[in-house]
Amino acid sequence: MDALTRDQLAIEPARVLTAPDLLVGSSLPGWHAAGGGIGLRRALEDRAGIIGVLERAGLRGLGGAGFPTHRKWEAVAAQPGPEKVVVCNGNEDEPGTFKDRFLLGRTPHQVIEGALIAALAVGARQVVMYVNPHLGSVLPTVAEAVAAWRADPVLLELAAALGGPVTLEARASSGRYIGGEETAVVAWLEGSFPFPRRKPPFPAESGVHGKPTLINNAETLAHVPHILRHGAAWFRSRGRGGAPGTKLFSLSGDVQRPGLYELPMGTPLAELIEEHGGGMLMGRAFKAVFTGGPSNTLLTADHLDVPLDFDSVRARGSRLGTGAMIVVSEGTSIPRRVTEFVEFFAESSCGQCPPCKTGTYQLATLLHRIDSGHGTRADLDSIRQLCGLLPGSGRCGLIDGAVTVVASSLERFGAEYESMLRG
Amino acid sequence: MSAPGPMPPTAIQRTDATAIRWIDATAIRWIDALAACAAAPADPPAPDAPALLRRWHPDAQPNATEPLRVGASAGMRCPPALAALLQANTLIDDVDVAGAAVVETDVLVIGGGGGGCVAALTAVAAGRKVLVVTKFGLGDSNTVMAEGGIQAAVGAEDSLQAHYDDTLAGGQRAGDPTLVRTLVSEGPAAIRWLIGQGMTFDLDESGHNLRRKRAGGTSVPRILSTRDVTGLELMRVLREATLLRPGITVWNRSPAVELLSDAAGRCRGAVIYSLYLHRFVTVRAGAVILTTGGAGRLHINDFPTSNHLGATADGLVLAYRLGATLREVDSFQYHPTGVAWPRALRGQLISEAARSLGAQLRNGRGERFVPELSPRDVVAAAMLREIGEGRGVERDGCVGVLLDTPGLERARPGVLAQSLVSLGHVAHKSGVDPVREPMLVCPTLHYQNGGIAIAADGATGVPGLFCAGEVAGGIHGRNRLMGNALLELVVFGRRAGAAAAGLAQAAGPGGRANLDHVQDWRRALVAAGLPLDARAPLLFPEIANFDLTADRAPHRAPHRAAAVAA
Ligand SMILES: Cc1cc2nc3c(=O)[nH]c(=O)nc-3n(C[C@H](O)[C@H](O)[C@H](O)COP(=O)(O)OP(=O)(O)OC[C@H]3O[C@@H](n4cnc5c(N)ncnc54)[C@H](O)[C@@H]3O)c2cc1C
Ligand SMILES: Cc1cc2nc3c(=O)[nH]c(=O)nc-3n(C[C@H](O)[C@H](O)[C@H](O)COP(=O)(O)O)c2cc1C
Repeated sequence: MDALTRDQLAIEPARVLTAPDLLVGSSLPGWHAAGGGIGLRRALEDRAGIIGVLERAGLRGLGGAGFPTHRKWEAVAAQPGPEKVVVCNGNEDEPGTFKDRFLLGRTPHQVIEGALIAALAVGARQVVMYVNPHLGSVLPTVAEAVAAWRADPVLLELAAALGGPVTLEARASSGRYIGGEETAVVAWLEGSFPFPRRKPPFPAESGVHGKPTLINNAETLAHVPHILRHGAAWFRSRGRGGAPGTKLFSLSGDVQRPGLYELPMGTPLAELIEEHGGGMLMGRAFKAVFTGGPSNTLLTADHLDVPLDFDSVRARGSRLGTGAMIVVSEGTSIPRRVTEFVEFFAESSCGQCPPCKTGTYQLATLLHRIDSGHGTRADLDSIRQLCGLLPGSGRCGLIDGAVTVVASSLERFGAEYESMLRG
Repeated sequence: MSAPGPMPPTAIQRTDATAIRWIDATAIRWIDALAACAAAPADPPAPDAPALLRRWHPDAQPNATEPLRVGASAGMRCPPALAALLQANTLIDDVDVAGAAVVETDVLVIGGGGGGCVAALTAVAAGRKVLVVTKFGLGDSNTVMAEGGIQAAVGAEDSLQAHYDDTLAGGQRAGDPTLVRTLVSEGPAAIRWLIGQGMTFDLDESGHNLRRKRAGGTSVPRILSTRDVTGLELMRVLREATLLRPGITVWNRSPAVELLSDAAGRCRGAVIYSLYLHRFVTVRAGAVILTTGGAGRLHINDFPTSNHLGATADGLVLAYRLGATLREVDSFQYHPTGVAWPRALRGQLISEAARSLGAQLRNGRGERFVPELSPRDVVAAAMLREIGEGRGVERDGCVGVLLDTPGLERARPGVLAQSLVSLGHVAHKSGVDPVREPMLVCPTLHYQNGGIAIAADGATGVPGLFCAGEVAGGIHGRNRLMGNALLELVVFGRRAGAAAAGLAQAAGPGGRANLDHVQDWRRALVAAGLPLDARAPLLFPEIANFDLTADRAPHRAPHRAAAVAA
């Protein structure tokens, strides 16, 4: 997880969101000089066509689930009334993911413009930039960027189009991992502890204070102004093998050059590791990768050829998630990594759902016993049993993620666990 | 009486046995030198110290140092032997600690010499749970070998200012004034603390006051001692206290092989290799104190050393990898009076106490060539000059100059037996009667002047990691005065112990601890084009024939074999 705190960025020709001229920080004139504002202009000119463009572009949610963006927007747009909310989710707190902090800290205007376009598309007059306050200067930078937009006359045009004043604000999130889950976002913005809620109703129907609420990840929104400016076909042509657009990959672990890489969606895993990550550290053998962060199925050497896009990764039984790729080489212990991740989930569980609260704790304790040389076969059996019992028992996806990574590592690296048992 | 005119140097074979590559000269035969010493010598000339050091000090020789290429102090120079270790790959991998027993403590002290015991006793007194891990048995260290004594400005005619001035000047003004101020200011309290722990010091004739001896480079007599076994007495007391104190656990034969860190780069414990269990043990701690001592066993610049077997720079290696900065690591102290003959005892120390009490150094022509109580670097450089310019003395192929113990005995009858006990032991082992025969001496690698940069509370640049004793740098500048090392380990051992205890109380032993910094370190090595097959820390010098991989045979550690196969 060494790369977690890093803001490294490789220069790649495919860069759309991270092109060097876009890295203007909170300077709005800088953003305009780099072509900013054109997407919003197009959106104002053809409000009704926005969602169609996104549909043709094939943009999907980059906060982890990969849900088609236009469908979420349609759902909110379909709700009656002018009291709707758009929230940009910049809570990012998962081990191994460090993309949103880069976008929001170094080039926040495209994200804000994307959120404004979303407001226009769904008919919302309240726009909230929901940002993790624990990411150094990211929140202050977003606050400055927001202030710059507030002084921009284009907001008046937006108000005219939406039939009333538009509020745009930056809000500190709780900074807790669980606070990024969409219903927890709603709860926090209503002033409560960020407890996830039962779905349905989905935020699109009833979100912040009961208002229909559109919640998108920062990276998802960042693509929107570019799509409106250059068109759906252009966006599709950015990807590879039929997958549309580009994706930010948070590459970490045992590679020579960990860091944030923006590459065409559909770039093969091997290419990410070898060409961009500089290959395995010390030339060691590749053992596995935690795809999409610590809560998905592990991929092993058989899957190095997998194109990194939502559908291809899913076809291999895993998920692209946030695009985090935590690479593990021979010499690094899978059970130790998994133990760390599950300890993280146990600490992050909000405690509302007893199976999650006690289940993550039990899993972490059992794993810790094994990792510290006290584990027995009975402990391993208990872990296996819990992996059968726990899935689906929480109202959000936290417990499922924890179980997925444990079960998958047991399936593929069971021998490594066995070798650590006492006696 | 005094034979006028220089004796012609007797033609002599090449000096193979200096073993110091850059000195290649002829020397005067032992018997001729003894004859030349019969006459009383003239006073030595006052040395031109800067010129002498530039030409003859080992650290100043070409190729004595090279710049570091990676790490927090990249660009800083240090001897190649040390650079090779500082820039080496780790001994262990993440899989090696998978399934290793985990032990938790508040404060982990690495190194069981004087500094380690002082730090442990201080931390436990603050209410913390302490674990001391050490490479050999508790007390097997450089501390126990200290002979001369300990400095502290306790005399009526002495002052903290004088101690401060002497220390900074002796260190060529390279020391950190704040650290030096701390050292001298807390000197008297440190002595009081030691006496409170049960240490005895020699008293003067009155029988009421501490006896004070003069040390090289000091303006007033300031050395307190227990005959010439001060370190032994100090270690005896500290070791007993440490072993008896509930709340301190000691693991002998348990070298630290790597530090642990968390995602924020904070030190969180260490991986220990137990020579009893033939296994790794993971120790998680709220704070870690490194007191691993020096680097003499690296035989820098090919010198023999006075140091114990464990002085292999492990602490520097571990801390540097985790991001600590270093200072003055190009500066080592070569003690003037190491045994030069017999060969088997080369490097063993003859205490400065001999010179403090009046013993003189004579070259092969019987001349005194340097005021004997000049700072150590000056005396050692002058000796190397004598040897290098052909005025050294050769005995059975070993070259040095003479320490005139018979002359001392004549001037102060009985002094050898009374006050120079350990000199007597060395002489006895050499088969020499020091009353009748001088000792052949040559500079010996003695002390690491620099080390890990610390603040006044022993904190390094790495949060959670503290240092005390010889492993720390900044106090002695580029040359240490006799007696200041023992004082340092008490003063800064106490400070580091207290600060670490405070931090550990605030932090607790919990938190994630792993080896992430190791991967960062390896990336840096690759990026700098450095080889990855060199491994460090050394743990044991070559002569110990220790091989971690072999010691940790697969049948003793089954999970490694399985994990690698998986
Ligand atoms: C012969 C001799 C005479 C001296 N005389 C004097 C004197 O008269 N006055 C004076 O002030 N100073 C003197 N010094 C210097 C002084 O003794 C030392 O600088 C001082 O004692 C160092 O104390 P320390 O606790 O830092 O290190 P040490 O006493 O050397 O203790 C370090 C300990 O750490 C252990 N260790 C090392 N690596 C590891 C590892 N990886 N894991 C676990 N444990 C490890 C070692 O085995 C050792 O036990 C003398 C030194 C020598 C060698
Ligand atoms: C426990 C948990 C934590 C989450 N944290 C975040 C987060 O930090 N940022 C984020 O964008 N989405 C996070 N999500 C996903 C959100 O619930 C939601 O799917 C996402 O913000 C929708 O945006 P998208 O459609 O643009 O991907 C999290 C989900 C779960 C279950």
